[in-house]
Amino acid sequence: MQLRDYIIRRLIILPFLVFGVSVVVFTLTRIGGSPIGVYLSHEMSAAEVQQLEERFHLNEPLYVQYFYWARGALQGDFGYSGVASAPVSQVFWPKLAATLELSVVSAAVAVMLGLWLGVFAGVRRNRWQDHVTRVVAVSGASLPLFWFGIVLLIIFWANLGWFPVGRSDADIWASMPHPTGLYMLDSILAGSWRGFVDAVWHLILPAITLGFGAVAIITRMMRSALVEELQQEYVDAARAKGLPERLVLNRHARRNALVPTVTVIGLTIAFLMQGAIAAEIIFRWPGLGRWMASAVVRGDQATIMTYVLFTSVLFLFANLVVDIIYAKLDPRVRLGD
Amino acid sequence: MNAMNTVTPAPRIAEVKGLKVHFQSKQGRVHAVDGVDFDIRDGEMLGLVGETGCGKSVTGRCFLDLVPQPPADIAGGRVLFRPRGGKACPDCSGKGCETCGGTGAETLDLLNIPAKKMRQIRGEKIAMIFQDPGKALNPTLTIGAQLSEVFLQHKSHELLEAAGVGEGDRGWVAGSLRRQANQREGSFDRWARRFPPLKGPSRRLQKALDEKVAAALAETQIPNPRRVMTSYPHELSGGMRQRVMIAQSLACDPDLIIADEPTTALDVTIQARILDLIKMLQAKRRTSVLYISHDLSLVRKVCDRVAVMYAGRIAEVGTVSQVFTDPRHPYTQGLLNAVPRAGTRRGHLASIPGTVPELVDPPPACRFVDRCPKAMAQCRGADPQLLPVTEGHDVACFLEHPREDTAPETPRLETA
Repeated sequence: MQLRDYIIRRLIILPFLVFGVSVVVFTLTRIGGSPIGVYLSHEMSAAEVQQLEERFHLNEPLYVQYFYWARGALQGDFGYSGVASAPVSQVFWPKLAATLELSVVSAAVAVMLGLWLGVFAGVRRNRWQDHVTRVVAVSGASLPLFWFGIVLLIIFWANLGWFPVGRSDADIWASMPHPTGLYMLDSILAGSWRGFVDAVWHLILPAITLGFGAVAIITRMMRSALVEELQQEYVDAARAKGLPERLVLNRHARRNALVPTVTVIGLTIAFLMQGAIAAEIIFRWPGLGRWMASAVVRGDQATIMTYVLFTSVLFLFANLVVDIIYAKLDPRVRLGD
Repeated sequence: MNAMNTVTPAPRIAEVKGLKVHFQSKQGRVHAVDGVDFDIRDGEMLGLVGETGCGKSVTGRCFLDLVPQPPADIAGGRVLFRPRGGKACPDCSGKGCETCGGTGAETLDLLNIPAKKMRQIRGEKIAMIFQDPGKALNPTLTIGAQLSEVFLQHKSHELLEAAGVGEGDRGWVAGSLRRQANQREGSFDRWARRFPPLKGPSRRLQKALDEKVAAALAETQIPNPRRVMTSYPHELSGGMRQRVMIAQSLACDPDLIIADEPTTALDVTIQARILDLIKMLQAKRRTSVLYISHDLSLVRKVCDRVAVMYAGRIAEVGTVSQVFTDPRHPYTQGLLNAVPRAGTRRGHLASIPGTVPELVDPPPACRFVDRCPKAMAQCRGADPQLLPVTEGHDVACFLEHPREDTAPETPRLETA
């Protein structure tokens, strides 16, 4: 099957999947109770509560409620977030931008560093460099993210005071417009060097916290895949042709070792989304994760549903991208069969 | 050759002298190859036969420095190689000295040359055909790309000539083309290749390269080479893949080919055709071949001479007719008896009793002593040396060459 046809087919299926996910999510969230709590206050009378319920169609059967919710969602109205005291659609982008900035930076660094370290260790198999890398990778994969984040916070923020918490310095943030919501990009657009430095400065600790685990996973996968590829006979065959070690590694072994690693990289997207919740809470990062955490605690159903729906779409796209890269790397992969 | 010796029938293109390859394992040092001597003459096909694990593949890989160290350790010996049409020996300028073994031709010790020199020899002077072409071809690169590598590695000057880049040409275009021919191009080079002024010469270079690849494939009787070039290995049959492998090894017209069981992984029906192909191309080019195999009947059919290997040692060397009609070593005799013939009755396949000995720190003794029907007391305590019995026929056995330090008449050992 042609790659283009495959992509088109997957994109056609996508809305149906999203519909399925939304039904499941809606039902499960509603089982947790009525979302009315967000709107209630102690001064309200029983009549006022009933009036509210009628206004939001909460007295109707569940499938009718779903219909109202879906109609709103299709029009871009995802309900009102009690936690943020604003419509979800209004707060969503700024929060997402904060999370994106954090996770994209840590993912990019994690992928590059992880692949590099994996190759570095795999080529030097069983030498001391390999052992050191392995210790770092094992600790990265086994240290709980929240614990590691807190340790970093205690050392570099509380004791040494080298790094700040939060996302920005309030004055610098207020001194420029935020057309994209991505602080680094906004500061560049505004031509503010101070702003850019401030953005990076705030990003370092949470990005390390979030990226460490991902680096570990990618490193380990890349190393073992490369070691396995280097034992294949085609590597010796490439050497027997007279190719220098540079080409044997780059063109033959490393490329083929990427095939299984790409799958793992796709999975780390999930890892980052999970990790972002803890990292954002620890470093007071105003992103989706922290918003989501408070929403769960306070029963903010509109937020929870939007978040879950968004993550599932994100996953579907991540899987599609992984499949495409997979097919590009390995001609034996037949898509859609 | 400057000092062609009239006594030897053909000059020796390669000589293996006292080669020892040991492997470090948890149980001790495994003497996988333990003092192997043989030579390969110009234009001949030498069969190296032996059981699985006798060290024949490791011996073959030593020619191209493809034995991973560690775990292996080349404990001694030399693998001498004299390129054909080679220069005169630099030590004696062709008069004949110790380095070149009196031949006067340039002689390289393949175990002891710089990595860069080895890379120049690999693929151009000595090539290898691997056992399983399904594993020896990279699954994610097209056949064309894999064959191109050989030409780019060794014939880049010819390709540059085709693209119109001379020796002294300077400038960015010439530099980019040189990077393309030397496999050092960056992404920018690859992008810039789509536009003039690089587009034209770059295409000419690629065209010259494709022609070389197609010609190499056509020589191994692959139908429709242009289509095969764009295929991936998994899209071809086993026999086709081995033809590709052969085309790849013959690409630069090497002086010596190490064929490591090239037909073992193939269907029997394909085996004969691949074998004929190797034989035909070898005869056409007068290439020397080291044919590693465990199949005696196959070696008898295609080889000129044969070396029988047992447990890391050469047991017997000679021409095919010498070894097959007059085997002197009990191991060779046992092997030949084990080959079923048309007259062999059902259920009466002969075999050699016992198993191959452990090669961990072996004591000095004939390796075959525990399985040998003719074992004597003197077979223990010393290694038999490979010595001639007739002209060109060497055997390592105390039956032929009794030990001088022990009495010739010793009672036979009791063997189970």
